[in-house]
Amino acid sequence: MDNGFFRIGGRLLLAAAAICISIPALFAQGGPARTLIPPDIAGEWRLENSEDDTTAQPPLGDYTGIPFNEAGRLRSDTTAESIWGTPEYQCRPHSAPHQWRGLGGARILKEQDPLTRDVKAYHIQFMRSLDRPVFMDGRPHPPAWAPHTWTGFSTGEWVGNTLKITTTHLKDGYLKRGGPQTSDMYAMTEFLTRHGDVLSIITVIDDPLYLDEPYVHSTTYAYDPTASVAHEVCNSSAFAENGGTNRHWVPHFLPGENNARVEWLKDENWFPPEAALGGVKSVYPEYRTTLNGSAKVDTLRVPSSKSGFAIDKRIADQSPRDGQVHVLPVQGNIYMLVADGTNVAVSVGTEGVAVVNTASAQMSDKLLAAINQLANATVTPPAANNCFGATCAGTWGWSSPYINSVIASPAPAKPIRYIFNTSAAPEHVGGNEKLATSGFFPRGGGFGAAVANVGRGAAIVAHENVLNRMASPGPKQTAPPASAQPTDTYFDELHKLPNYFNGEAVVVYHAPAANTDGDSLVFFRRSEVIAAGNVFSTVSYPVIDVEKGGTIQGVIDGLNKIIDLAVPEYRAQGGTWVIPSRGRVSDTADVASYRNMVTMMRDRIQDLKGKGMTVAQVKAARPTLDFDGRYGATTGPWTTDMFVEAVYRTLQERK
Amino acid sequence: MRRVVYLVIGAALFAGTAASAHHSYAATYDVSNEIKLDGKLVQFVYRNPHSFVHVQAPDSTGAQQRWAVEWAGTGQLAEAGVQRDTLKVGDGVVIVGRPSRVRGEYRALMVRLTRPADGFTWGGRAGQVVD
Repeated sequence: MDNGFFRIGGRLLLAAAAICISIPALFAQGGPARTLIPPDIAGEWRLENSEDDTTAQPPLGDYTGIPFNEAGRLRSDTTAESIWGTPEYQCRPHSAPHQWRGLGGARILKEQDPLTRDVKAYHIQFMRSLDRPVFMDGRPHPPAWAPHTWTGFSTGEWVGNTLKITTTHLKDGYLKRGGPQTSDMYAMTEFLTRHGDVLSIITVIDDPLYLDEPYVHSTTYAYDPTASVAHEVCNSSAFAENGGTNRHWVPHFLPGENNARVEWLKDENWFPPEAALGGVKSVYPEYRTTLNGSAKVDTLRVPSSKSGFAIDKRIADQSPRDGQVHVLPVQGNIYMLVADGTNVAVSVGTEGVAVVNTASAQMSDKLLAAINQLANATVTPPAANNCFGATCAGTWGWSSPYINSVIASPAPAKPIRYIFNTSAAPEHVGGNEKLATSGFFPRGGGFGAAVANVGRGAAIVAHENVLNRMASPGPKQTAPPASAQPTDTYFDELHKLPNYFNGEAVVVYHAPAANTDGDSLVFFRRSEVIAAGNVFSTVSYPVIDVEKGGTIQGVIDGLNKIIDLAVPEYRAQGGTWVIPSRGRVSDTADVASYRNMVTMMRDRIQDLKGKGMTVAQVKAARPTLDFDGRYGATTGPWTTDMFVEAVYRTLQERK
Repeated sequence: MRRVVYLVIGAALFAGTAASAHHSYAATYDVSNEIKLDGKLVQFVYRNPHSFVHVQAPDSTGAQQRWAVEWAGTGQLAEAGVQRDTLKVGDGVVIVGRPSRVRGEYRALMVRLTRPADGFTWGGRAGQVVD
């Protein structure tokens, strides 16, 4: 037996040992009772490079010890490291699984309740990070339709002398630098234990889309009050890193193209190439028996552990088909209402209400009730009286502001003034009639009363192709009533409301030949919110209705338009928020991630088609394998096969 | 016509790791190959964690491209005497770098920069490796 065998054996044993140490803790029910005074973990901590590949990246393509499934491996093989040089990602922090392992040390701060002096939250800072709060006050995690961030949403609890941190709502990223990728649906659990001046961190990454069992690694810090976490600034420009003149450039590899992943094996020729591919069986000691030929990988049994959550449910929960309306404040005037899984953007202010899309007809009553409740609560909330006497300044009232505040009823909120339809899709226009007729748009001025229907109903704004499709829906289809059809159409590349609404400009941009030929993006410029319609979804591949003029390139162009309009607040996060047709509220980086995926799918299918494959052969080649768990479907109105075929067809037509 | 010259280097691979980079050098660049860019400097992004030199130079087909060449951070460059005004827009430069691993990407990792007009050079001496 040569040294190589011992070396791989050692690596596998280390990985197995890490799992054996941490998994019981991860799945422990209860554990030791909390001590009265948990150890103080606040302070400056210096990274100890004692673990394997703590700070340096592993060789490209080295997935040893990672329980990758086929999708995780393909995603990693086809993701180019230079994707992180694109404008949307340049200022990002390290991905959460790697944060503890990045250079620069760590600072842990305590946020205390001034009354009880309980620790309400810990704040963790790294050299290139955002402030990362770990809430200790028992608050729940946000709903699934809330945004994901680079550091996620973390809550902590003491289990004995160990701080257990549970993190959800994370963006996609990497397990380690240089290749191994994560999805954006993983959960992360960390166990922080202080032993004197040493802080041990066990990190468990649970990403069932790409991992067949949770991946575990450990990191060690030493207490160092003389240390100070450095701060890395970011002032990148659009073309700073990747060169060229295409700001929408998406670097990636086609499947099988990334030969670099095996380069390191030329120098490490003792290393079994199959072990470098990772996989759940390869992280257990039993795997060694397959290397000397005494066992087969296919029949090898290992005591693997399972994911702690149902991934399909976690994805679906972003867009719950529960017959209810859920309200999420987004930013400025804008709220996102999730109506039976379909998103409606609502602007609420003193001038009235504007809605982007109206969900399905079946949800109209609940949606309207939710909008009215929101408008009344937001615009005319009950207010406590702060002045006594008839000379108090205030609105005209019953007899005095004091009496008025006690017995008067506040005026109702202004009605729905505008409805924007981002397409003619039934789930976006179904509530048009109900909502429009409940609203009011003052078209008549002083003359309106003399003309029937003038000044009645909210204005419905859409691209003219939406009106064309609704007015003439085709054979065997019935056109909706006129009161449900757009009243104000545009045909140019954009349309502006002529005046501010609720104190801000509202601009509608056409996304040509995207999902259909009538898609729009609606930008609320002061609130910094874009309603993206069907161009963007966080729960499915983009719907491309080829018969109605949709194309894959139009979808990509629409996503790039959103990216061009949006600006992150700080470190590639927040800023302009984007409301998808279905799924969670997103920011620039999320849209970029989706754009990258769609671009990769286009290029893969284009490559296969260019090799002369039929659409059936392309489907059989499974070019979408690494994203099917995330966005694909085998049943329902929009399956993976339908997406692949639509891409194939529209690429063909563009030839 | 100026041409990009692709030089395959069989040995002396760039083995160091990008300890302070926010991305992995070995994963980003093909560290076993070199390209030569002969063109004009159009932008010098002097910053941390790494500076970038943008050069207008032809690709392997002769078409002019805007190349982004990743260089060292300001601290390391300052130690070598490189300041913000050391390079100026319009300077003719010859750069040897490691090419991107991604086909069609106009990006490289700085190995050596030469300005023929005055003989200024960076690279190849102690401390003059991007790290």
